[in-house]
Amino acid sequence: MEFALDLSANKYADVPYEEKERLFKEMKSDERWPHVLYGCYECGICVASCPSARFYDFSPRIIAQAAAREDVDLLYTLMNDSVWDCSQCFSCDRCPRGNSPGQIITVMREVAVRNGLQSAKEALEGYGRIIYKIMSTGTQVSPDMLQPNAFPDWGGHVNEISEHLEVWRKALPPETLHTTETGWKVDEKTLIELYLIWHMTGVMDMIEQIDEGLYMILVDVMEERLEDAGYDVTFD
Amino acid sequence: MVERVNNCVIPKDLYYKVEDNTWVKLNDDGTVTVGMTDIAQSLAGPILHAKTKKIGMYRKRGKPIATVESGKWVGPIKAPVSGEIAEINAELENDPQLLNKSPYRKGWVVKLKPDNLDEELKDLVTGDEAVAKYREKIEAEGLQCTHLEGTDSYEE
Repeated sequence: MEFALDLSANKYADVPYEEKERLFKEMKSDERWPHVLYGCYECGICVASCPSARFYDFSPRIIAQAAAREDVDLLYTLMNDSVWDCSQCFSCDRCPRGNSPGQIITVMREVAVRNGLQSAKEALEGYGRIIYKIMSTGTQVSPDMLQPNAFPDWGGHVNEISEHLEVWRKALPPETLHTTETGWKVDEKTLIELYLIWHMTGVMDMIEQIDEGLYMILVDVMEERLEDAGYDVTFD
Repeated sequence: MVERVNNCVIPKDLYYKVEDNTWVKLNDDGTVTVGMTDIAQSLAGPILHAKTKKIGMYRKRGKPIATVESGKWVGPIKAPVSGEIAEINAELENDPQLLNKSPYRKGWVVKLKPDNLDEELKDLVTGDEAVAKYREKIEAEGLQCTHLEGTDSYEE
């Protein structure tokens, strides 16, 4: 397996420069861009503080410099092969120049997702169920995700927890936590508002670009609930 | 008549939509039974929730007839042919792991009343052709099927 980051110019030579430039312009037009990118002294504080840089072939400094130089080719490579290694901890915000490589990466990831880049699809593949949960129920991590096969690193006691999950949850004092499929009990009105927000803000269009199967089942869930609540809304 | 490729069971009497990992069985009463394949259940892992769509709902080919959730995966089971949902497997709600343990028998998902079967059947594969297609896919993607305790044996 090859883990090294290939920053050579010919890595994505088959992608037309115009396409890379179009994506760069989309990044640059983001209103956050000028507030998170000022310039770079090459001090290396961001790299020194970055946990991902310690474990991967990843550097927040390369991101900030490529963005400051407006190196369209390099930014395209980084958007495909590097930005997904960031853990979004924003330790790099300690930059004395005021850059935020983490925020630059946030913008780059959003552009990658909006445009359905293959790298975005691969990076998000493992998060399908979490996206489904948060978008359909408003809670992100559900107790029934505690399964030995899903999280073997949580240790042997996960087995026991998953087998008697309902009992464990009932042992929690607040009644709103007596749930297994969602993190807590979510009010119907909250769900309707949430679905309307997804609908109005175009989030569903983004999901459609990334995971067609996930899009389908979310549309089904949302349209049904919205219809029951008296809203005439379709996502297609 | 069952073939095995990399431990994946492929009954030869069913029709398959290979890319969606679904199967279709033609019934005498004109309905078709639909389910997910052994490969699908292996990829998903132990299934926690299976929610089928409602009886009477018309589903175009490719639209979801059920939503399946495992520990870290969620996705649709897509209708391999168009039709109205005539019957659902209510057992799946209480015991979703029937999908893992008996994907071709007790873990069937819905029965459809197809309305364009002759035409749509042409896009499905069966028999040796199905085995060959799956062999190609299994080898290309390096798939290996895994079975939970209590899985059907398929011994004749």
